Amino acid sequence: MIDSQTPLPGTPMEELDTPCLVLDLDALDANMDVIADYYRERPSKLRGHSKNHKTPAIALRQIRRGGTVGGVCAAKVSEAEVMVHGGVPSVFITSEVVGELKIRRLCSLAGQAEVMVACDSPANAHALSQEAAAQGVDLGVVIELETGLKRCGVQEIGQGVDLAHDIASLPGLSFRGIMSHQVIPAMPDREDRVTEGNRVIKGVIDLKDAIVESGLPVEIVSTGETWSYDVAGEIPGVTEIQGGSYLLMETHYGYMTEFSYAAKVLTTIISTPRPGIAIGDAGARAVGTLRGMPEVDARPGVTIESMDGDHAVFRLSDGASLRPGDQVLLIPAQQDAMVSRWDRFVGLRRGKVEAVWDIQARGCHN
Amino acid sequence: MERPIFQPVGTPVEELDTPALVVDLDLMERNIRTYQGYFDGTGVTVRPVVTSHLCPQVARRQLAAPGSRGVAVTTVGEAEVFAAAGFGDILLANQVVTASKIRRLCALASGAAISVAVDSADNVAQLSQAATAAGVELGLLVEIEAGLGRCGVPPGAEAVALAQAANAAAGLRFRGIMATVPGPAGDDANAHAGQTLQNLQAAIDAKDLLESAGLAVPEVSVGGAHCYAAAGELPGITEVRVGRYPLMDVRLQAYLPELSLAAVVLSTVISRPAADMAVLDAGHKATGPDMGRPVLQGHAGATAARFSAEHGVVDLESGALQQSQDEAQDGGLVPGAKARLAPWELAACVNQYDYIRAVRDGKLEGYWPLSARGRFA
Repeated sequence: MIDSQTPLPGTPMEELDTPCLVLDLDALDANMDVIADYYRERPSKLRGHSKNHKTPAIALRQIRRGGTVGGVCAAKVSEAEVMVHGGVPSVFITSEVVGELKIRRLCSLAGQAEVMVACDSPANAHALSQEAAAQGVDLGVVIELETGLKRCGVQEIGQGVDLAHDIASLPGLSFRGIMSHQVIPAMPDREDRVTEGNRVIKGVIDLKDAIVESGLPVEIVSTGETWSYDVAGEIPGVTEIQGGSYLLMETHYGYMTEFSYAAKVLTTIISTPRPGIAIGDAGARAVGTLRGMPEVDARPGVTIESMDGDHAVFRLSDGASLRPGDQVLLIPAQQDAMVSRWDRFVGLRRGKVEAVWDIQARGCHN
Repeated sequence: MERPIFQPVGTPVEELDTPALVVDLDLMERNIRTYQGYFDGTGVTVRPVVTSHLCPQVARRQLAAPGSRGVAVTTVGEAEVFAAAGFGDILLANQVVTASKIRRLCALASGAAISVAVDSADNVAQLSQAATAAGVELGLLVEIEAGLGRCGVPPGAEAVALAQAANAAAGLRFRGIMATVPGPAGDDANAHAGQTLQNLQAAIDAKDLLESAGLAVPEVSVGGAHCYAAAGELPGITEVRVGRYPLMDVRLQAYLPELSLAAVVLSTVISRPAADMAVLDAGHKATGPDMGRPVLQGHAGATAARFSAEHGVVDLESGALQQSQDEAQDGGLVPGAKARLAPWELAACVNQYDYIRAVRDGKLEGYWPLSARGRFA
C-alpha cells in the first residue's frame, strides 16, 4: 500500500500535508480523565463505544486511564474483531447480528475474548444458540429494549421477560442482561438532562426488575451515552454506560463544557480568488456535513460559507486574512461519521506530532 | 479497513454479507457506452473524474470505451494512486500550493503526463520552480470561475496575465483553460440546462480573450456530469470532466433518467421490532447520506425513512406492510432479508468502502479495490 501520509513523530503541524485528521492529545487525555474521575468511586462504569474512534490504541488508552468496565462496545462484528485482535479483552456488540455467515464470525470471536451481543427476538436467539453450541463457545446475550429511539429492541416488558427466559434456556448462550440506547436534542441544562435521562431510562430499570422477579439474575444493565454519562451513572441499577462522543467531541455536544474538542480536520488554503473569500482543501468528503457545517477553530473573523465535496469556502470578516498555504483547523459537528472516512489519527501535542494511530476498524460496516 | 467476508466468485448477490457496495457490471458498461456516446461526432472527449468512484477498475473501462481519454483527480494522493495503477494522463483539476505536495506532484510527472489547475501568479511561479528543479514538465490549465463561487479567475485581464505567465515559465506547458459549473439546484431540468449554458459561456469568453491576446488555447476543459448537452452545443469546448455516469446516483438520475443506478448498498434487515418498521444494518457510515438520503429500491410503498450512524429504518406503512407480510416466506423485509439502497450522492457513498462487489447476472464476479479511497491529501 502506498503510504505517503504517515508523518514522523516530531513533525510540526505546519508541515503536515492536508487535509489531515489530527487529534489534540492534551484534549483527548483530559476527556479520558473526566470519565476516569467521574466513575472511579461509583458502582457504574463506562463501556466506551469504539464505533466512534474505531481504534484499539484509543480504546486501550481509556481502559488504562480508568473509569471503565475494562471493555468496549462495538456496533458491528468486524469492528469487534478489530478490538479483540487489538487486545481489548471484552466487547459488547450493541446491534443485532443476523445471517449465518456473520453469526459464524461472531461465535468464533466469542472463543477469543468475552463477547456479548444485543438481541431482540426469539428467532435470532435460536440462530445464535445453534452456532454457539456448534462451535462450543459461550456467547453472552443482552436484550435490547426500545425506549424512544424507534429502532431495534423489544417493545414491552413482558416480551423482554419471555426473551430472557428463552435465552437462559438455550445452549451456547449466557443471558447477561439488558440494554437500551437513547438520544436527545441538545440540552445544555444539566437538570433537563437529569429529568429526561430518568424518564427514558426508567423503562430499562422496570425491565430489569421484572426479569429479576421472574427468577433470573440480571448482571448487566447498559444504557446511556455521552449526554447522560453523569445522569445514567447516578441511576441505581445501571451498571454500564455506552458513551463514545465525549472522547473526540463535536460541536453538537459543545454544551458539555467539561469535554474539549480533540479531533479536528486540518485544512490548507489553496486559493484566495476574491476579496473576503478563501478556499480550503477539505470538503464534505473529508469532514462530513450531515449534522451541519464544521466550525473554524481559533481564527476570529473566519467562518465557513459553504462546503462541497472537496473544498471549503471561508468568508473573512473583521480584518481576518488568509493566504494560500495557511492552515485552518475545523471542528466537526459530528465526529462519528467523520472518523469513519479516515485511515489514521495524527496525534499532536503542543503543535508537534507525538503519535500516529491507524483507525483500524475504519470501513468495518459488516 | 473494510473486513468483508470474501465470498467466492459466482456467489448469488442475495447471499453476500452486508453492508456491501454492489455494482452491476452490465448496467455500468451500458452507462459508460450511453454517456460517452453523447459526444460521438462532437469533437468533445470525456475525461473521467475518478474522484467520484475512486476505482481504477471502473476508470479502465471508461478509458476502454470510445470517446474518452486521461483521468481527472482532485488530490495529489488520488493522482499517486492512479499513476501507480498505470494511468498515464492525469489532470489534477484543483490547486496545489504547498511545497511538499508540489514535490509529490513533480515526482509523478517523471512517469506520467501530469496537469494541474492554477488561479494565481504566485502558484505559477512555485510550480515552475519546482518542476524545473525536478527536471520535469507540468501541464497547466488556468481555472476560470464559472458560477461555482470557488476557485478560479474571471474571464478577463487576470486570466490573460496568468496564461501568459504559464506560457512563459520554465518547466511548465500552458495547455489551456478549465472551468467547473455548478450542479443542479432545483428539479427543473430545463432551467438548469439554460443556466449551464450561461455558466459555460465564461470558459468560451476566456478562450476567445486568450486567443485574441495571441495565445494558443488547445484545451477548454469543463466539469459537471449534467452539462453534456450544453458542452456539445458550444463550439470551442474540447473536453468534459465527469465522474458519476458509470455508477450513477439518485441525484443525477433525475437529470439523466436514461442512465441506470448501477451502484447500490446491499443491506440486511436485522430486526422487525414493530409491524410497520424494518431495521437495516446500513446507516450513515455505510451509505454516506451527507447530501441526501439513500433510496430503497424494489419494495413498492416502503421507504427508507430514517438513518442513524449504524442503522436504517424502513417505514412499511401504506400498503407495503401487507405485501411484506404476505411475502414473509419469499423475500419480504423479514430479519435476514436483503434490501437495496441507491445512494443519493455517489462520491459520499463510495468514500465509505474499500471494495466494490462487482456483480453480473446476479452473481459475484470479483472484489474491486477502491484504491483511492481516503486519499484526501
